Amino acid sequence: MTEEEVIELIDSSLAEEFELERADMTPEANIYEDLGLDSLDTVDMVIVLEGAFKFKIREEESIRAIRTLGDIHRFVLEKVAQNT
Amino acid sequence: MNRNADPQTRVRGWRRFKDAGVVVLMNLWCYPALILWTLLGLVLFPVVFGLGLVFLRMPADRLMRLLVWIYGRGWVVLMSPFVRFRREGMGLIEVGKPCVFVVNHLSFFDTYCMALLPGYDITFAVRSWPFKMFWYSIFMRLARYLDVEGSSWQETLSNCQSTFAAGGTVLFFPEGHRSRDGELQRFYTGAFKVAVAAQVPLVPLCIEGTDHLLPPGRKWFRPCTIRLRALEPIRIRDYSDTDGHILLRKQVKEHIAAALASMRTQNSQ
Repeated sequence: MTEEEVIELIDSSLAEEFELERADMTPEANIYEDLGLDSLDTVDMVIVLEGAFKFKIREEESIRAIRTLGDIHRFVLEKVAQNT
Repeated sequence: MNRNADPQTRVRGWRRFKDAGVVVLMNLWCYPALILWTLLGLVLFPVVFGLGLVFLRMPADRLMRLLVWIYGRGWVVLMSPFVRFRREGMGLIEVGKPCVFVVNHLSFFDTYCMALLPGYDITFAVRSWPFKMFWYSIFMRLARYLDVEGSSWQETLSNCQSTFAAGGTVLFFPEGHRSRDGELQRFYTGAFKVAVAAQVPLVPLCIEGTDHLLPPGRKWFRPCTIRLRALEPIRIRDYSDTDGHILLRKQVKEHIAAALASMRTQNSQ
């Protein structure tokens, strides 16, 4: 998968799961303040990403540092690179 | 009242005076009655709970859910001189059969209105904050209500499955918190994932009118009509694909939005 394809899959999966507007989904968008996600959603977010990319990330400590959509892009791109 | 005013103005003035009188009467009745009902419940609870365990021989959590439902029914009776309660589609609910209920959320009093449902064995799935209030927490823990925010997905699913295995139902407010403007908010996916994973029917409920009873920021009850409508139960077999819960959530939200719009239109006529 190219970087663009990975980012598109992340954004489309999150938009579907959390009823997000694609126009709001910029890399700088804070997932809590700008996209309106909360603690209930973070568990679902991990499940969605695991389902979309077929990897396990729920034990990863670095997930806790994620604040923006760009952080998610970078986190997943790193995981995809490690797994290929 | 101005004796020289035209008849229409006098009628409007009289109506406003009468409405204000009803609001005063309602609050003079409802607040003391609800406080007394709650105090009576607290005083009698240890005795009733103990007798229930001995004579009804049902599990403690189920008995607690029965007592919560009776408390809710009492609330409905006490409010009924000033609030019209309407139940619609209740025949669609199979009492004693496991299911997931999902209901829109307009007011703190929505939970009380769940006593309008025909079955008492309802396990509420809620966020963490009510569990942090000791006056709720003790009863919620006895009733084994679910803290979906403070539990992992596996724990929530496992607790729901135990409830279903005992013939109970689980009720979610998929919006997560009350709507401040009466409009439906984003739906969380938890309830839909539980229904799909546990393969139990999902019954959408639509509540309307509780936001008029005590609007956000107000302190005084107002007379209103509260309607709770059960919509057609949804069989889960068709939603077992990977993203089945998302499709289910979308369809249920559409059903609830359509029902809410039709109920509001009927109320305004």
